[in-house]
Amino acid sequence: MQLFIGGSRAGKRYAVTQRFDIGHWTTAGTDLDVENEPGGLRECRVVDGWSHWIETLLDQEPDDDRLRERLATRLDELLAWERSQRGEVVLIMLEMGRGIVPMDRSARRLRDLNGWLAQDAAARCERVWYVWNGLVKSLRF
Amino acid sequence: MIAFISGGARSGKSVHAEQLARQWQREHGGALVYLATASAPDAQADPEMASRIRRHRESRGEGWSNLEEPVHLDTVLGQVPSGAVVLIDCLTLWASQVLYTAGLDETRGLDIIDSLLAEARARDVSLVIVSNDINEGLPPQDAEVWRYLDFLMGVHRRVAQEADEVIQVMAGLPQCWKRPE
Repeated sequence: MQLFIGGSRAGKRYAVTQRFDIGHWTTAGTDLDVENEPGGLRECRVVDGWSHWIETLLDQEPDDDRLRERLATRLDELLAWERSQRGEVVLIMLEMGRGIVPMDRSARRLRDLNGWLAQDAAARCERVWYVWNGLVKSLRF
Repeated sequence: MIAFISGGARSGKSVHAEQLARQWQREHGGALVYLATASAPDAQADPEMASRIRRHRESRGEGWSNLEEPVHLDTVLGQVPSGAVVLIDCLTLWASQVLYTAGLDETRGLDIIDSLLAEARARDVSLVIVSNDINEGLPPQDAEVWRYLDFLMGVHRRVAQEADEVIQVMAGLPQCWKRPE
C-alpha cells in the first residue's frame, strides 16, 4: 500500500496518474465490490475522498477514538484486499493540519481525525510520498 | 536559471532567496534587482506594511536596485538588463492583485507567469521567485477564498515545474526539492 499526501491543489491526483496504471478510482467509504480476475494482472486501486468521508462520519460517531478506530479498520480492509487480490492500493490524503486552529468544533474534529488517519495510513504503507507544489518527495521508501 | 522558493509565514524564505540571488550574482555577474510585488505605502497610512518593507530592505543590504510592480511582472522585466539576477517577492500578493485589483482572470494570470519565465530564459535573466504556502491548512469554506487558493496553487505548480531549483524553507532551513542539473 502507498500513500500520497499533500495540501489542497498540491497536484496529488496528477502525481498518482503519472505513476500508476489505475484500474479503479474509489472513494473512501464505498465498498471494494470488484474482485480481480484470478491470475489476472495486478490491479491498482486509488482511494481518495477521505476527508469528505470523515465529515459525513462526524455526526454519526461523536467519540473521536471510536471514529479513528473505524477509519483504521477501513485501512486494514484495504490492506487485506491488496494481499488477497495481489492488487495495489494507492491512498490519496489531504494535509490540512498546518493552518490556524479552526473556531468551529466540527472543523477541529475533522482536522484531528484527518491527521490521525494520515498517521495510521502511513504506519501501514510501505511507501509514503509528500506532494508539494506539483513535486513529489519520498517520506518512506 | 530560475529558482522557486516557498514555505510558511516567517519561515526564512526571503532571507534564503536573497542569499541565493547574491550567490548567483557573485558567480555570474550582472545587476542585482529586487522586484517587489507591493508598492511601498505611506508609512502613516499603513505602518505595518511600511515596517515589513523596512525590515526586508535592511536585511537585503547594499547592492540592490529596486523595482515595484503589482501585476505585470512580464512587462516590467523589460526594464531589467540581460544577465541580471531578479528576486521577485512574493507571488501571494501578486496573485491577489491579479484577481482583485486588476480584475484579470486565472488564464490571463498564468499567461503573465508563462511570459515572465519565457522572457527571463530568452534574455538570460535569472529569477529567484518567492511565495508562501497557504494550502496545508483546513481547506477554505468560502468560494472566493477557494478560487484564490486554486489560482495561486496553479501558479506555484507551473513555476515549480519550470524552475531549475526548488526550495522549501522551514524554520530558516532550506529543503531541496529540485536541483540544477
